[in-house]
Amino acid sequence: MEHQLAAVAELVGASKKLGGRLVLDKLDLAIRAGEVTALLGPNGAGKTTSVGLLTGRLSPDGGQARLFGLDATRPAARARMGVMLQAAGLPDVMTVREMVTLQSGYYRDARPVAESLELAGIASLADTRCGKLSGGQARRVQYALAICGRPDLLVLDEPTAAMDRASTRALWATVREAADDGAAILLTSHDLAEADALADRILVMNHGRIVADDTPTAIRARVSGSVIRCRTALPAARLTMLPGVRTAEADGADMRIVTADAVETVRILLQLDDGLEGLRVSDAALEDAIAQLVSDEERMAA
Amino acid sequence: MSNYALPAGVWRREAKAEITRSLRLPQFLVPTVLTPAAFFALFALALNKSSPEAATVMLAGYGVFAATGPALFGFGAGVAMEREQGLIELKRVSPLPAGAYVAAKLAAALFATALAMVLIDATALIAGVRLPILGWAELTAISLASTLPYALLGFGLGMRMSGKGAVAAANALYLGSAILGGLWIPSAMLPGWMRTLGQFVPSYHLGQLAQAVVDPAKGGASPSHAAIVAGMTLATGVWAWAGWRRSAA
Repeated sequence: MEHQLAAVAELVGASKKLGGRLVLDKLDLAIRAGEVTALLGPNGAGKTTSVGLLTGRLSPDGGQARLFGLDATRPAARARMGVMLQAAGLPDVMTVREMVTLQSGYYRDARPVAESLELAGIASLADTRCGKLSGGQARRVQYALAICGRPDLLVLDEPTAAMDRASTRALWATVREAADDGAAILLTSHDLAEADALADRILVMNHGRIVADDTPTAIRARVSGSVIRCRTALPAARLTMLPGVRTAEADGADMRIVTADAVETVRILLQLDDGLEGLRVSDAALEDAIAQLVSDEERMAA
Repeated sequence: MSNYALPAGVWRREAKAEITRSLRLPQFLVPTVLTPAAFFALFALALNKSSPEAATVMLAGYGVFAATGPALFGFGAGVAMEREQGLIELKRVSPLPAGAYVAAKLAAALFATALAMVLIDATALIAGVRLPILGWAELTAISLASTLPYALLGFGLGMRMSGKGAVAAANALYLGSAILGGLWIPSAMLPGWMRTLGQFVPSYHLGQLAQAVVDPAKGGASPSHAAIVAGMTLATGVWAWAGWRRSAA
C-alpha cells in the first residue's frame, strides 16, 4: 500500500510561470515522513516557488501539487501542516500568548500553549505584544506558530535567519526531535552549515529543476577538491582559466578558489602573483559541492 | 476525513481576536466610529435644533454613512497594510479557511458600525426623533447591511493596492459615497450630474431604502433599490474574490 517512507507532500510534473518566466519546469519532488529535507540552490532557482506550491499558496500551471494526498490549494490539506515563512508577519497589538493560542485553535491535536512557548524558547515573552519583539524573537514566535499544531509536515523557510546562536541550536534540536517523531520537515536555508547539520537529504535546485538529490555526506563527496583562500591582485576571470580550477570568486577581501588540484593551483598562483598573501587551503565544504553541482548543470544546459 | 476537519469554534475565535485587535487600534476605531456620530450631532442637533423632522431624514442617511467608514477603512486600508506586513501570508498557510479570515474582519467592521449606530441613535433621541420600534430596527438592519458591499469593495482594494494607496482610495470612496449617495445632503438638492453619478454608488440606493423607512410615503421605490443593492454587493463580492485569487497567483 504505502512506500517505506510515504510522501507527505509532493510535486508531480509541476510547472509554474511567474511574470512570463517559466520558474518550474515539470518538477517532481517528494517530501517524506521522518526526514529533514533541505531545498538548496541559488536565488531564482525556484525554491520559493516550490515551497509556495507545496504549501498551497500558489497553484501549478501544469502538473500537480499534493499535500497528504489532497490538492495542496484545499484548506483541508493544510490541517496537518505548520509553516514558518520568512515573508510572514505578526500583528503588532496582539501578545505572543494570544497569537499562539489563536493558532493552536486551528489544529485538532494542538500542543498545550505553554509547551509550544517553551519549545520555541519564548515562555518569558508570553505577555509581550508582537510589535515590541526583536527580529530574532519574532522568528521564534513564528516557529512556535509553526509547531503548535503538532504538524505532520513542518515547512521552515530560512528559520534561523536573524536568530542568535543559542536560539538556533535550540531550534535545531526541536526540529530534529520532530523528525525523529515521524514528522516530515522541509527546510530552505542560505546557511549551508544549517542544512549540513539538520538535513537527512539535500535537494539542489537550479533553473527550476532538481540537479542533485542525496545525503549531505554523499553530496560533499561529489567534490573531491580543495578550497584555496588568499588575497591576490589576479582577477577571478583569469583564475577560472587555470588548470584544475572549478570556480573562483571574491569573498570580501579574499579570493576563494575551488580546485581539483590544490598543489598545482597554489604553485601557479605563486608564480603569477608574488604579492599573494594570506594563503590557506582547506577541504571543500558542502557549499562548494553545491556551487559545483550548479555550475556543472549550467555548463550542460548551455 | 475527520483528521482534516477544523476544530469547532474556529470562526468565532477568529472574529473575537479580530475585534480585540481593532479595540487595541484606537487610531482606526475612534475616527471611524466618532466621525459619523459627530457630524450627525453637529447637523441634527446644533444646526437643526427646532426640527426633529429634518433630524429624522438625516438619521436615515447617517446610518448608512456610519457603516461605510469601518467597512472601507477596516477592509480597504487594513487589508492592504496586513498584506504588506505579511499577516495575510501567515493566515494563508494556516489551516484557517479564507472565509473565516474575511468573516472575522467583517465582524470587526459590524462591531464598529454598531458602536457608531448606538451613538447616532442616542443623539437622534436627544434631537427629538421618534420612530416606531420596527423603524429603529429596520434602520439598524439597513445600516449593518450597508457594511457588506463596502467591506467587499474595501477588500478588493486592499488586495490590489499598497497600504498608502488603499487609504487614499478608501478616503475618496468614503467622501464620494456620502456626497453622491445623498447621505449628507438629500440627492434632490444635488446638481443633475451628481444625481446621475449617484445612481452608481451603493450608498444612494441604501440611503433610499433607509429614507423609505423614515418616510413610508416614499416606500414605492424600495424593491428596485433593494435589487440594485443586491446586484452591487454581488459585483463587489466577485471583485474581492478575484483580488484574493490574483494575489495568490
